[in-house]
Amino acid sequence: MTSEAPVKHAVRVQVNERQYEEEVEGRRLLVHFLRETLGLTGTHVGCVVGECGACSVLLDGSVVKSCLVLAVQADGRAVVTIEGLERNGSLHPLQESFVSRYGLQCGYCTPGMILTALDLLARNPRPTEDDIRHGLAGNLCMCTGYMQIVEAVREAATVLAGATPDLA
Amino acid sequence: MISAERPQGTSVGKSVRSHEAPRHASGRGHFVDDYRLPGMLHAAVLRSPHPHARIVGFDVTEALGLPGMVAVLTPDDVRSMSRPFAPGRYAAGLRTPVPEYASAVDKVRYVGEPVAAVAARDAATAEDALDRIVVEYEPLPPVVGTSEAMRRDAPLLYEELGTNVPWRGAVSYGDVDAAFREAELVVRDRLKMHRYSSVPLETFACIASADPTNATLTVWVNAQVPDVIDDALREGLGLRDVRIIIPDIGGGFGQKIHLIRKYVLITALLSLKTSRPVKWVEDRSGHMMAGGHACAQEWDVEAAVQRDGTVLGLRVRETDDVGGSISTLTIHFTNKLNNLFNTYTTQHLSLEGSSVVTNKCPVVPNRGIGKPGMCFVWERTMDRVAQTLGMSPVEVRTVNLIPSDQFPYQTPNGNIYDSGDYAGMLRRAMERIGYEELREEQARLREQGRCLGVGLAVAVEPGGRNAARDLALFPGIKGVSGSGGVNGATIRLERSGMVTLLLGSPNCGQSHETTTSQIVGDVLGLSPDRISVISPFDSEVAPWGSAAANSGNNFHLYDIGAAHDAARKLRERILTLAGHLLNTDPEDLVLEDGAVSRRSRGTPDQDGVGPSHAPSPHSPTPRLTFAELGRVAYGNQALLPKGFEPGLQETSYYTFPHAEPFVVPDEQGRVRAQFTFSAAVHIAVVEVDPATGEVEVQRYLIVSDNGTIINPSVVDGQIYGSAAHGISVALGEAFVYDEDGRLLTLTLTDYGKSTALETPRIEVEHRPMPSPFTTLGQKAAGEGAAIPSPAAIASAVEDALQPFGVRVRELPLTPEAIWRLIGSSAR
Ligand code: FES
Ligand code: FES
Repeated sequence: MTSEAPVKHAVRVQVNERQYEEEVEGRRLLVHFLRETLGLTGTHVGCVVGECGACSVLLDGSVVKSCLVLAVQADGRAVVTIEGLERNGSLHPLQESFVSRYGLQCGYCTPGMILTALDLLARNPRPTEDDIRHGLAGNLCMCTGYMQIVEAVREAATVLAGATPDLA
Repeated sequence: MISAERPQGTSVGKSVRSHEAPRHASGRGHFVDDYRLPGMLHAAVLRSPHPHARIVGFDVTEALGLPGMVAVLTPDDVRSMSRPFAPGRYAAGLRTPVPEYASAVDKVRYVGEPVAAVAARDAATAEDALDRIVVEYEPLPPVVGTSEAMRRDAPLLYEELGTNVPWRGAVSYGDVDAAFREAELVVRDRLKMHRYSSVPLETFACIASADPTNATLTVWVNAQVPDVIDDALREGLGLRDVRIIIPDIGGGFGQKIHLIRKYVLITALLSLKTSRPVKWVEDRSGHMMAGGHACAQEWDVEAAVQRDGTVLGLRVRETDDVGGSISTLTIHFTNKLNNLFNTYTTQHLSLEGSSVVTNKCPVVPNRGIGKPGMCFVWERTMDRVAQTLGMSPVEVRTVNLIPSDQFPYQTPNGNIYDSGDYAGMLRRAMERIGYEELREEQARLREQGRCLGVGLAVAVEPGGRNAARDLALFPGIKGVSGSGGVNGATIRLERSGMVTLLLGSPNCGQSHETTTSQIVGDVLGLSPDRISVISPFDSEVAPWGSAAANSGNNFHLYDIGAAHDAARKLRERILTLAGHLLNTDPEDLVLEDGAVSRRSRGTPDQDGVGPSHAPSPHSPTPRLTFAELGRVAYGNQALLPKGFEPGLQETSYYTFPHAEPFVVPDEQGRVRAQFTFSAAVHIAVVEVDPATGEVEVQRYLIVSDNGTIINPSVVDGQIYGSAAHGISVALGEAFVYDEDGRLLTLTLTDYGKSTALETPRIEVEHRPMPSPFTTLGQKAAGEGAAIPSPAAIASAVEDALQPFGVRVRELPLTPEAIWRLIGSSAR
C-alpha cells in the first residue's frame, strides 16, 4: 500500500511573462498545472492523449499539446497561454479576427486553435488556405466545420502583415 | 395569417459583433470544469469492463484505505439512496416497466456502463481508488448484432421482458396497399446507417453541491435540456429544491441531453453522502464508450413508382439497434415523424419499426435524431428510382417535389410546411454547380479511368418541437408529454439605462446571446452591444418552460418568440412612461439610440402639443435617455404616471400561435411533429480513387432556405458545422465493436473524426423563404445540414463508381468499404 505522500518536485516556470515557483507531483501534466495549480482555465482539455489540441500552449515559443508535457518538463522554460495574448485590455489581432469572423461557436477549441495559429503565423506569415488547414490539422473543432476558423486566420495574417484585410 | 411584424431597427440581417466570442477568444469562457467550490471533492466513475455480466460481489475496503479517499458509491447505495428514473416518452413503448437506476445495480449491459463511483480529495486519488475496488462479475454471453439479438435462443439483456425486442410498432398514412396495387413498378432496397456521434470537444462535466440539512441541491452541469436534469434529480432523489446552473457548454449536438442525467445523479449522490461539493468530469474514452451513440438503423424499403418517376407510396421496415438501455427505445423511430415525407408529394407511407436491445452503448439524440436516417431512405430511394427508370436523379426529384404554390403544405401525417421553393432551390443548385458541365467532365475522366461523381440530396429541416408528437404512437403517455411548447424571456431596462435580457434556455455555441440582442435591440432602438444577455442559465432565475432546450431546433421559434414579445411589452411601457414625462402622446415618440424623443417631422410641429414641452424650432427636441427613464422607474414615485407599476421589467412566455391543427394527434394519428420547415439542396462532387478507395470531396454546395436570417455569420456557421459533421459521418466516423461487444474506437483518432484537412470547403447560398407563421419569418438552422449530407455523399460516391455498377447501401464509406464494394461488384 502506498500511504506515504507522493514526492514533489520544484518547478520554476515563466507563464505569460510572470515567474512561478511551485511544488508538483512528478506525474502532474502541464495542462493540469496551468488549469488547477495556476488557475489559468483558458487552456482546455478534450482528450488528455494528444489528439484534440484543445490544450495547446506555446512552450518556449513553439506550440505544444500541454497534455503531453509534464509540468516538471516546463521547469526553466516559458509558457504562453491564451490569457497571455491581450495587451492593455485589447485583444491580440488573431483573437480579434476569431471574434469578427465568427471563427468559433462553443469556444471550447478556441484557445488551442488561436495558439496553434499563432505558431503557424510566426513560421509562415502569408499562409495559403492549404497551409492553414495543414497547420490546424492537430486541433479538432466539432462545431464550425473549420470554414470560419480558416477565414479568421487568413484575416489575421493580413492584419499582422500590415495590409488591409480583403473583406470580400 | 401573416403576423410577422418586422422590428424597425437595423441590426437584424447583419453579422453584428458577437457577444460570446470575446470571452471565448480570450480564455474567459466559463465551462463547468473551470469552477471550483470550497471543500470540493473530485469524483471518478468505475465502468464495466464487460459487455454483459451479472454483478455478484463488491468489495471496497481497499479503496477506502487509500489516503485522500472520502467515499465510495456502491450499487447498494444507489438502490437505497435513489429511485429509478421515471420512464420518459422514449420508453413509452415498453409494456413492462424496467427500473433503470443511475448506475448498474445487478447487471451490466455495455462496456463502460457505470457501476460505482468514488469521491476523493483530488482527481488523481479518485482514479487511483478505482483500481482498488473489487467487483466480482459473472460474465454472460454478449449480444452484439441485431439479428443475433432477435434469435429465439439469444441471451436476454432484460430477462423480465422475455425478449430483446422490447418494442415493435408502426405508423401508416394514406392507403399504402392501394398505392402499391396501382403502381407500375416497385423499387426495393436494403439500407443501413451506422453508429456515430458528434463527440463534443468538452466531455460531460458536473458539480453537485448538496445541503442535506436543508434538502437542497445545486448542480452546475453542461446539460442541453434542463428539464431532463430537473426531473432526474427531483424524482431520483425526492428533493424539492433543485437548482440547475448551466454555464458555457463545449458543444452539445444532442449528446448532452439524456445519458448525462445518470452522471449528475451519481455526482449528487456522492455530494449527499459526503455533505461536500463534488466535481466529476468524464474522460474521453468514457465518453466514447458510454456517452451515447446515434442509433444504427437498417431499413427494408419498397417504393411504389410510376413510369414518369412519381413515387406513389413508400413502405419502410426499420430495425433500430438501441444498445444496452430501454430509456431511449423509440427515439430514432419517432423522430422520423418530423420529416416523414421529406420534400415530396407522396401521399401513402408506412413505417414499421423494431427496437432491439444489444450489449452496446445506449443511443441518444444526435444532430437530427433519426431525421438523417429518414432523409437517407428517401434520397437513396430517389436515386434508385432514377436508375431503374433511366431518368436523371434531378428529374426524378423534380417530379416529386412539393410545388412552391402549395405552401403552406400539409403532409399526410399532419406536418404543415410553412414555406418553401424546393424546385427553385434545386434549379439554382444545378446552375451554380454547373451540373451539365460536370457530367461532361465526368465522361471525359471516365475515359481515363478516373471516377468523378456528382451526388444530390434534398431535405427539409424541421424546427420547433411539439411535445405531443409521440402521442401519435403512444396515446397513453399524456401525462409525460404535454403538448406544443413553452419558453420564456425576461427583459429589463436597468436603473443605469442598460438593458438586460434573460433567456429561458442554455446554449452550446449557437450565439443565442448575439442573436437575441439583435432582435430586442431592434425593437428598442438600441444597438445590440448595449444589451447584456445574462449567462449562465440558472433554473431558479430563468423564465423557462417545456421548450427550454438546446435541442429540437427550438431556439428560433420559442426563444426568439419570447424575447421579441418581451421586448415589445417593454417598449410599450417605456413609451407610456416617456409619454407621461414628456407630456406627449406615446404615438408621437420614437426610440432611438437608447433614448425616447418626439418623432421629427422635418418642419416645425403643427400638431397640438403639451404646453410644457412644446418644442420651438430652435430648441433641442425633448428627449429622455434610458438612464433618465430608469431613474424615474426605480426611484421617483412622484413622476410616475397614475397606476403605472414601478420598474421596467417584462417577461413573456411564448407558445407557437399557429400550432393548430394537429397540435395533438387526431384519430388518424396526424400530428405536427415540428412547426417550421427549413430546407436545403446539397450537391457533392467527389473523386474516388478506385485503387485505394479514397474519396476526395472536390466541391460541396448547399442552397439553403432558413427563412429570415437574423445573423448571416451565425447561420452560415451552423450550416458549415452540421454539413462538415454529416460528411465526416458518411466518409468514416464510426463506433466499431468487435464480435465480443468491445468498443474498438476509444479515441478520437480511432473514431475517425475529420480534421481541417479532410473537411472540404463548403459553399453556401441562401434562398430564404420567410415563414408566414413566425415572429420575423425565421426558421431553423442548427441540425440542418447534418440531415442531408450523409445521403449526398452516398449519392456522389455511387455516381462516381457507376462504371463498376456499385450500389451504395450503407455508411460509412471508408476506403476499405469502397474498396470492398468495387471488388464485390466488378469482377
Ligand atoms: S487535451 Fe491535449 S490534445 Fe486533447
Ligand atoms: S467551436 Fe466548439 S469545438 Fe470548436
